[in-house]
Amino acid sequence: MTRVLVVEDDAQTAAEIAAALGDHGFEVECAYTGQDALDRAVADRYSAIVLDRMLPGGIDGLTVLSTLRGLSVDAPVLILSALSAVDERVRGLRAGGDDYLTKPFESLELTARIEVLLRRRSVPDRETMLRIGDLEVDLLKREVKRGGKVIDLLPREYRLLEYLMRHPGQVITRTMLFEEVWSYRYDQRTNVIDVHMGKLRRKLDEGGLPSMIHTVRGSGYILRAPD
Amino acid sequence: MSVLFLALFGVSSVVFFGFTYWQATSYLNSSVDHWIARDSAAYLTAPGEIVQRLQLHAERDPDAWRPFGLFDASGRFIAGNLKSLPEKPTSVGHYFEYKLPRNGKDAPFRGVGYRMPNDDILILSYNVNEIYGFKHLLLDAMAWGGIMVFGVGIAGAIITGLGAVRQINGITGAVERIVTGNLAERLPTRRGAGDLDRLVYLVNGMLDDIERLMREVKGVTDDIAHDLRTPLTRLLGGLERARRRTTSADEYARAVDAAIAETKAVLGTFSALLRIAEVEDGARRAGFMRIDLGQIAADVVEFHAPVAEERGVSLSFDTDAPALTQMSGDPSLMFEAVSNLVDNAIKFSPMGGCVAVRTFSYKGRIGVTVSDNGPGIPADEREAVLRRFHRLEKSRHTAGSGLGLSLVAAVAKLHGLSLTIDSSYPGSCVTLEREQQGGQVPALPAPASAPPAQTGTRERAEGEPHAVSSGV
Repeated sequence: MTRVLVVEDDAQTAAEIAAALGDHGFEVECAYTGQDALDRAVADRYSAIVLDRMLPGGIDGLTVLSTLRGLSVDAPVLILSALSAVDERVRGLRAGGDDYLTKPFESLELTARIEVLLRRRSVPDRETMLRIGDLEVDLLKREVKRGGKVIDLLPREYRLLEYLMRHPGQVITRTMLFEEVWSYRYDQRTNVIDVHMGKLRRKLDEGGLPSMIHTVRGSGYILRAPD
Repeated sequence: MSVLFLALFGVSSVVFFGFTYWQATSYLNSSVDHWIARDSAAYLTAPGEIVQRLQLHAERDPDAWRPFGLFDASGRFIAGNLKSLPEKPTSVGHYFEYKLPRNGKDAPFRGVGYRMPNDDILILSYNVNEIYGFKHLLLDAMAWGGIMVFGVGIAGAIITGLGAVRQINGITGAVERIVTGNLAERLPTRRGAGDLDRLVYLVNGMLDDIERLMREVKGVTDDIAHDLRTPLTRLLGGLERARRRTTSADEYARAVDAAIAETKAVLGTFSALLRIAEVEDGARRAGFMRIDLGQIAADVVEFHAPVAEERGVSLSFDTDAPALTQMSGDPSLMFEAVSNLVDNAIKFSPMGGCVAVRTFSYKGRIGVTVSDNGPGIPADEREAVLRRFHRLEKSRHTAGSGLGLSLVAAVAKLHGLSLTIDSSYPGSCVTLEREQQGGQVPALPAPASAPPAQTGTRERAEGEPHAVSSGV
């Protein structure tokens, strides 16, 4: 069972985060202060930690994080903050965080990112070939085939597909796709990504093949072998 | 203030005059004292011959312009042309002055007394009429001079004082009117370069800024009223309708989904507003790094390429060499800004239209231009278009929050870039640029591909609006 620790001083926000994670299937515990978080997390029982940066009582989020890392607690940490500035994000990641979300955020964004963090730890990075259903990606030759037929993709389309192939069965949000493939980060207000994804899907599904990329709740995508 | 200055001036004048007077009379007196001392030598060195010498002296000076006299210890006259001891107590050795009546007036004399070995007293003195005359003359002159100086001083003090008081009264009056709400008022200025005038110019400049900001805030609240209330009203309406009408779980689920979508839209608008404020605040400058404007623009173009393709709009990109388009900045913010411009240009281009993105480094200026041949921005909306929530009248119904250009303006300001909207008939050209080394703004070379060339003069977005420019 995946156990997640939510560290958030506002009780109502904590409850909502816990509910979103719980609905997703995680077991959730909450800590409301930095000290409480340290006490609980130090036993290293959690698969992931959701950590608010601003905590009362002198021990703030980044202090908790660097303390845990210093004690060899390696669970992936997703940092929540109201501050969106790049240097804040960099500081959070440098302190040992694995990902960063600014409030307010959608629950899908949170659960999708946690899933990616969880999976990242367990999947080796050394593969040269990704295969889902009849879709193949040769990472060395950067070649994509479906049902044995080569598909011609633009560089960005290739990277989008590769990212989805590395996380099969996982929800990937638009922001995550944008960040991974274009390396910039801001909250998208337009649906330009959808147009890219639409083109990709058409190319992959050419010839009437069943679709492998599906849209999830209007906010994300998931790649699955066709049933 | 001027009264104080006048008093200071007066006091120092008096001190100066007094000092001069004292010095002059001292000199004159000491001259007489020297002569007396010289004369005394003849008498003091030959005590036995004093009487003869005094008699000789009396014959030579019968009118006693130089009254010399010898008296015994009890004050009885012995010899000389000074017949009696002067009234003043003669402390021997000190110079003293006394008066004797002469020709109906009292004439002034100055002299000294010596005590002889046999206790006789020898008095030697000179008439000092001229000195007294000179003293009176000097005093007169100084008195008249003092009056004149004082008069001029008072006049000057009054004039400058009145002038200053009038100016300060004008200023305080204007400030009071401004404080009670008349923001258009300015402090009264005069042709002058004094400290007060400089302060007045500065304060007027500040008031210009404040008036502009308050106008913007008023404008924003007008737009907010429409653009935030509308989705919230829809949200409320939808939920109430669901409450009234729906019966099945499915219908409720759909109503909830619709409410979620509407709420997300409102939240998104608020987030965008906060981000614009955060960018405007300048705090994000701390995250600046070396970025390549050309690369960012290329990424934006590539990002929007499929959308342009779907709408039948041609999207092109052109750039100078990467080494030339480097600058300091926040890559995500710059991407977002350029992306907003390109998004607008594509959104408002007709089918078959052209959007051209170009980064340039030219004569010390670096920047990026997004031009299109869409319908343009009407002249009277060129400045307002940068305000939050502003939508051009004709585009009020298209999707979008109206915050796109506000964010671009905020990002531009953060990076020290100027945001310029030019007209090109038809369509427009939005440019973000700044100096790298300083220098004049050159005429922009025409972009390599369509749209049509820009017209001549370029204006700042806050200045006088030019003609047509692209849509928001």
